Amino acid sequence: MKEEILTEALLRQFLLGKVDDEERERIENLFLTDSDAHERVLAAEQDLIEDYLEDGLNAADNELFVERYGQTPAQQRQLRINKSIKDWALKESALHESALSESASSTHGAADKTSAWARLRERLRLKPTLVIPIVVTAMIVIVVLTVWFSSRQEARHRAIEQELAQLNTPASLREVPPNMRSLDVSLLVLRSVENETELKKTAQAEIFELRLPWSRKEHYTSYRAELIRVDGDEQFTIPNLPGSGDRNSPIRLRLPSQRLHRGHYKVRLTGIKADASPGLSEEYTFAVSE
Amino acid sequence: MPRNTAISPESFDEILDWLDPDREMAGQKYVQLRHDLARLFMWGRCADLEGLTDEVFDRVARKVHEVKPTYVGDPRLYFRAVANNVIKENFKKTRTYASLDEVDLRPQNPAEIAENTEEREECLQSCLQQLTDEKRKLILAYYAKEKQEKIDHRHELAQRLNISLENLRVRVFRIRAALEKCVESCLDRNAQPK
Repeated sequence: MKEEILTEALLRQFLLGKVDDEERERIENLFLTDSDAHERVLAAEQDLIEDYLEDGLNAADNELFVERYGQTPAQQRQLRINKSIKDWALKESALHESALSESASSTHGAADKTSAWARLRERLRLKPTLVIPIVVTAMIVIVVLTVWFSSRQEARHRAIEQELAQLNTPASLREVPPNMRSLDVSLLVLRSVENETELKKTAQAEIFELRLPWSRKEHYTSYRAELIRVDGDEQFTIPNLPGSGDRNSPIRLRLPSQRLHRGHYKVRLTGIKADASPGLSEEYTFAVSE
Repeated sequence: MPRNTAISPESFDEILDWLDPDREMAGQKYVQLRHDLARLFMWGRCADLEGLTDEVFDRVARKVHEVKPTYVGDPRLYFRAVANNVIKENFKKTRTYASLDEVDLRPQNPAEIAENTEEREECLQSCLQQLTDEKRKLILAYYAKEKQEKIDHRHELAQRLNISLENLRVRVFRIRAALEKCVESCLDRNAQPK
């Protein structure tokens, strides 16, 4: 029989215009003159349309399909009608199966009291076309939100560190901006015998200058300061804080008031040696109130 | 756009006679041939399917007196050859389709789409009512599953009906084609000014 040589795969290639002229002519001739071949071609075409409507074609085939079946308004209308028929059948069948499962569970009575969760699972199982895209979409949304949130946090963190570095350059430290309050902060080891320094946030105090005493014999030209919020997980590093120049003068660290929140903070100051390796450290603590 | 063809009644009669000596069969073959040629044009990525089909019949009508007496074989193959020439000429004359980049695939007015969808659903429901119970159930069962699931489902359905999968597909295709035609006619009727 002539139509036997028309395989599914070949017909699909033909319908997407992926066969040579000779093969195309052969299939078209069969299509016009052989009723079985005619119906097979149309059935294959129907399968192809179904795959398109189910997003089952790869990008290249999708494009070839649209070139042939989705160009004119009449073709687009036919595709929409096809989609309506499929949607109707899917909806009807889901309703039918759902009604069947409900009646089955009510017949079984108490012995078959499936949990709401099981029933939900059953319902979802009936509509995998609905569930799979929802689950995939939800996962994508979660991943995207996580990435977005994390990158947003990182960007915010970098921005604050930049702001702190800018505020503590030698040039900035030479200036005395209005609305700045200077406070002496005690070394952590001394805190037990002295009161903890308290920074009170007010509208007038936009910048706090912490004066950090350096008790070590060894002095450095620059220091790395780490600002750590004790009751939180925030930590900012100011990598290049200039030394005081005078062994008896404290090292100054300026912090913008708006970046400080109510609670306890710790500052770890580490000297930077000439070869850029870390030297000795001192720790300080202060509290912020509003 | 379909055009008014310039086929003389004599030529048309001769075409029908060439397709089949039985007048009734010839009429059926003529209608089917028109549909099939339109499909060839669609596969050939032509836009004006009806117009080009008319063009084929015009051309055959002009030659049928000469060709018919000596032509050996199925006359529909001659029509296909003419259609093939028309496709080639059509390609030369104009780009028959726009590239996807050029096609505006954005949805139309949302209100219009909603209305069309609603109309389509109404037409579909009305056409489904016109099907026999058996046909409605068959098409419902056939399209009840999607993607991977549908393959096993259709095998089971074919087994249940005791027919081959191929026969099932063809059977469903016929019902769906009739349903599609019915919906189209219904939409056309609705679109006519009242």
